[in-house]
Amino acid sequence: MTDNTPTSAEAILNGKSQSGPTEAAQEYDLLPKLIPHLDRHLIFPLLEFLSGQEGEDGTEITKTKYELLKSTNMTDYVAQLWQEINDSDDVPEEFPNRREEVLERLSLFTQETSQIDELLSDDSVVSNLRSDKVANLKFLETNHGVTLEMVDMLYDYGWFQYSCGSYANAAHLLDQFRILSTDNDKANSANWGKLASDILTTQWDVVMEEVNKVKEGIDTKLFNNPLAQLQHRTWLIHWSLFPFFNYEPARDQITELFFSPAFINTIQTNCPWILRYLAAAVITNRSRTRNTGQYQKQLKDLVRVVRQEGYEYHDPVTDFVTALYIDFDFEEAQKKLSEAEEVLKGDFFLSAAAEAFVEAARHLISESYCKIHQRIDIKDLSKRLGLEMEEGEKWIVNLIRDTRMDGKLDYKEGTVLMNHPANSVYQQVIERTKGSFFRTSVLSAAVAK
Amino acid sequence: MSRFFTQGDSSSESSSSDEEELYSDNEAEQKSEQEESEEEEASEEESSSSDEGGKSGASKFLREAASSDESEDEDKTHIVKSAKDKRLEELEAVVKIIDNAVKINDWSTIATEFDKLNRQVAKITTSDKAPKIYIKTIGDLEDFMNEAIAKQKVSTKKMNATNARGLNAMKQKIKRNNKDYQAEIDKFRDDKFEYMMSEEEEEVVPVEKTKKPKAVYTEGVDIGDDEGFSTVGRGGKTLQYTPESILKHLRSIVESRGKKNTDRAEQIRVMEKLREVADTPYRTIRVLLTLISTRFDLTTGSTATFMSQENWKSAEHEFADLLEELESNRNMVVLENAEEWEDDEKPPQPAAGETLKIPGSIISVVERLDDELTRSLQHIDPHTAEYIDRLKDEQALYNNILRALLYVENLKKDTKIELNDDGANRVVMRRLEHVYFKPAQVVHVLEETAWKSVPANLDSDITPRANDADIDSLVQTLSTYLFKHSADIIRARAYLCQVYYFALHDQYYKARDMLLMSHLQETIGNFPINTQILFNRTLVQVGLCAFRANLVYDSQNTLQEICGSGRQKELLAQGVMIQRYSQVTPEQERLERQRQLPFHMHINLELLECVYLTCSMLLEIPLLAQTGSSPDIKKRIISKTYRRLLEFHERQIFTGPPENTRDHVMQASRALAAGEWKKSAKLINDIKIWELMAEPEKIKDMLSAQIQEEGLRTYLFTYAPFYDTLAVSTLASMFELSERKVAAVVSKMISHEELAAALDQVNSAIIFRKGVELSRLQNLALTLSDKASGLIEANERTLEQRTQGTANAFERQGGQGGRGGRGGRGRGRGRGGGEGGDRGASRTRGGQQFGGGALGGAIKA
Repeated sequence: MTDNTPTSAEAILNGKSQSGPTEAAQEYDLLPKLIPHLDRHLIFPLLEFLSGQEGEDGTEITKTKYELLKSTNMTDYVAQLWQEINDSDDVPEEFPNRREEVLERLSLFTQETSQIDELLSDDSVVSNLRSDKVANLKFLETNHGVTLEMVDMLYDYGWFQYSCGSYANAAHLLDQFRILSTDNDKANSANWGKLASDILTTQWDVVMEEVNKVKEGIDTKLFNNPLAQLQHRTWLIHWSLFPFFNYEPARDQITELFFSPAFINTIQTNCPWILRYLAAAVITNRSRTRNTGQYQKQLKDLVRVVRQEGYEYHDPVTDFVTALYIDFDFEEAQKKLSEAEEVLKGDFFLSAAAEAFVEAARHLISESYCKIHQRIDIKDLSKRLGLEMEEGEKWIVNLIRDTRMDGKLDYKEGTVLMNHPANSVYQQVIERTKGSFFRTSVLSAAVAK
Repeated sequence: MSRFFTQGDSSSESSSSDEEELYSDNEAEQKSEQEESEEEEASEEESSSSDEGGKSGASKFLREAASSDESEDEDKTHIVKSAKDKRLEELEAVVKIIDNAVKINDWSTIATEFDKLNRQVAKITTSDKAPKIYIKTIGDLEDFMNEAIAKQKVSTKKMNATNARGLNAMKQKIKRNNKDYQAEIDKFRDDKFEYMMSEEEEEVVPVEKTKKPKAVYTEGVDIGDDEGFSTVGRGGKTLQYTPESILKHLRSIVESRGKKNTDRAEQIRVMEKLREVADTPYRTIRVLLTLISTRFDLTTGSTATFMSQENWKSAEHEFADLLEELESNRNMVVLENAEEWEDDEKPPQPAAGETLKIPGSIISVVERLDDELTRSLQHIDPHTAEYIDRLKDEQALYNNILRALLYVENLKKDTKIELNDDGANRVVMRRLEHVYFKPAQVVHVLEETAWKSVPANLDSDITPRANDADIDSLVQTLSTYLFKHSADIIRARAYLCQVYYFALHDQYYKARDMLLMSHLQETIGNFPINTQILFNRTLVQVGLCAFRANLVYDSQNTLQEICGSGRQKELLAQGVMIQRYSQVTPEQERLERQRQLPFHMHINLELLECVYLTCSMLLEIPLLAQTGSSPDIKKRIISKTYRRLLEFHERQIFTGPPENTRDHVMQASRALAAGEWKKSAKLINDIKIWELMAEPEKIKDMLSAQIQEEGLRTYLFTYAPFYDTLAVSTLASMFELSERKVAAVVSKMISHEELAAALDQVNSAIIFRKGVELSRLQNLALTLSDKASGLIEANERTLEQRTQGTANAFERQGGQGGRGGRGGRGRGRGRGGGEGGDRGASRTRGGQQFGGGALGGAIKA
């Protein structure tokens, strides 16, 4: 289940490069980079999104889709795609044949798993199950004649269903399999399958659970194989992009996940392009999180990572961060912001968040602008933020109110006057000694241990 | 051949030496010394044939001039003469062969025949002056050889390998040989015809060679043994060189190894002869193996610190021959763990299809060759032509390394021989070490020539011949091979070599990431010193690379450890430090001298210092301006070395125009501190040594830009207290930067709270805040609070070390009081790539090479 699709992914990449980037948004298209880390079925929505956009060659995408799904069991759809490509009503023989074959196997699987399926839907049986898997299996074996082969059959059937595109069924079967199976590798694999199925049926709550399960699996099962760990984390990072931007409550959780040392390292070493999503998430989070301390920390981390990886990856979104927080070049930041907007709109995951991003980015620009300047021309600032004069004034008033900054508007001259109180020495001393007591007590506790 | 030994020998000797004294005191002294030694080791009567010829030749000549006859001697000549004609005939036959070979320019034949000739002449001349025909031949040969060499130099066409080798060998031999006959040859050249025609006088020569062990008579002498020749061995026994006896000879030689009073030079000669008579590949291989190792022994015992070039060369040739022999006889392999064949009488007869294992080690030989070359390069003055001459041998060595590698690879393919990876690893490592520090073009030439020297039917699995054009991947391929197959030290070395190569070729990020991910910083202390030196070299190279990539901060940070210590020479093994209070034992000093790198591998120390000081200047001067006169000025020092130099420079009363690199940087620093960035940039750009870098203009431009920016910052720090407001445009024109750039720099400083000011957008000016200067009490309070937090940090670190980081007492959510942490940490602004360390720490939890302490990483994580 965790297998990637190297051959067809390559074919897709080839198809991509032919179409050629026409716009700035396409120049920074991440699709070719994302695809190798996603499952066949997960790529499909991305392609759908692509075909929904203008300027892309429709047939190219259809062809790509065809390549993508050729080896799955969704024969009807594949045949349809084939018709589209070849522009004919006839269907070559292989498709009906495949279809027959698939149906045959389907019925075979249904027969073979019917018994165990019934058992597991029987309340009296389920109520007898305990948390101990081995005991469960023994119980089922003695009382109901369930064998290990039958359990494995569940797994195969789940895989088959997934391949056919009926993800809900697949999720159900794999779940059942996980309850019974004692085979670690397969259970692990079933985890991934379940995750994919849930993503495709957009069961975000469940998805988040699965993400955590997979993450734990990676941490515990692969701890002595760093390379596999890296690879699996990369996959998980890519897969969790789906809930990341489609399900609001997941965002905090996933941001935190990405910032955890293991995952930020994975991003830095293996897939720096994820920084775009991370940056977008952090920036858009601004308006939602009330916890400014945490937000500041995330921003600081983000700036650090973006700077470190600047040599390996940059796109308008990260460039924006660089311009604003590293170079303090506000004009450049403004320019990059408009570019970033384009990019975001053309991105499958981020298109919905584009507006929120721009809004939040404006806030950030003006915030740090005000911090540095003492007197600001409203007209100029409005222009900088891409707003009308009137709008700009309102915006600034809101900003001052929101951030509780010390600022006044001078209507006659059309300026904002910022007041920056000096950091009092006494305050500094307090700051510096603030943590001492806590740290000392931690220290003494540690010594006592 | 028969020899007559008389008791009267000593008298004749003394008389001859007496007479010689008349002519040259020096020579006489020498001679008598020789004689003494000869008398002591009476059994040693055979020295090299050429020597023999030489001695007798010279003395003969003198004698001739003196024209003294002694009746006793006359007797001898008489007897010798009877065998002489026969000898002369043989001699003529050989001369004829040589003449023919000369005609077709066949040097390998000439070389072998020449040897034969010399031996024959030696036999004749033991009692006689060298025959004219011999003089003629060698004279002609010398001329012809000079001609051939000259021709070869001009023509582009290469001689084939055996021929070239023959020519080379001849060059050496003739030089050595003809010296002894110089006078005769000159005479011959003066008037060829006359010389040849002149009657062969019967010179009477006292035969020095005839001092013999007292009371020992020859036994078993066969006169006129045609095919072989006999030499009188230890104790007067006649040794006979026949193919059958080779193994016996070898055994006796091997057994005498390490014993006192063994004349290795003599053994080598014996073996050279043995090699000629060897008839089967097995025997040849055996002879070659022993011969090469004896050549190496030659240096170990003697006082010479390194192998002489000619000796090395012959060893190298013989090694090449050995490999060739092994390549053409695939059924014989040389293995380290093979069984010794005890029976000398009959050589082992392997069954068809089986391989014959011969004990020995190809790899050790190639390693030894490499070591010997390095050693001699260490001792030769690098500024002489000799050094360059010697360096040329590297190609030959590299060819052999490649060839040995092919051989080892081939062995590994054979499944019957259980061979561990070790051998191949060692050879690959040697190869890598010859390549890693060289620019790609040089490596390309090296590779190309090496592959040319290898027979076309051989190819390598590790680095296929087809890939030979792709130099960049060569180092990578070799080191990747070593990562996979080796362990510990070799692996670490391979890793470092690769990083070094990347850094040399301006791939900074790749090199840095690799170095950080290797975790070597933590464990390098446990490695042998050679590897530590390699680590230092790599570190320095990465630093230089960062400098070229315009990453001043990273560069300074990386170089700090090596250059800040003031012991660059020692750390890079590029010179021995003279210690004032010498606590080094001679033994230690000797070891250190052994570790020195040959000159061509050196990293230019002056350039290194220049880069380091320039980087330090760019970082230190703004920092100095920033800290001003506040009490914690002492606390933040980036480079102690630089500060010391700067202080020293400031104490000088009169400063002349800058003379060396250091002066330049110091004066530039002063100019920069005073806000005169133009002067500073000019001083820096005047430094000559930038020319040694690739694209010096780019470096200079980059430095000027950096100086501009740092100048601006320094200016702001220094003069901020004296201004209320300052127009951005004024600053822009003062530092010739764009207003936008100035605004960006100022914004950055404000944002990092380095400057208590704000920008006025309307008037585009900087407004400095008032009342930020602290009173003394306030300053002290701040310092005190800093100290307190420093104390806590130190405590935490101690505990962390004690528990080896297992007590994760300090793992907590960071961001404690975001802003307060800045000053307290004492790390200040994290400019440039300062986060390199953080990243190393978080990625590897060990990359502390570049950044904060162990706990710093833990807390931040």
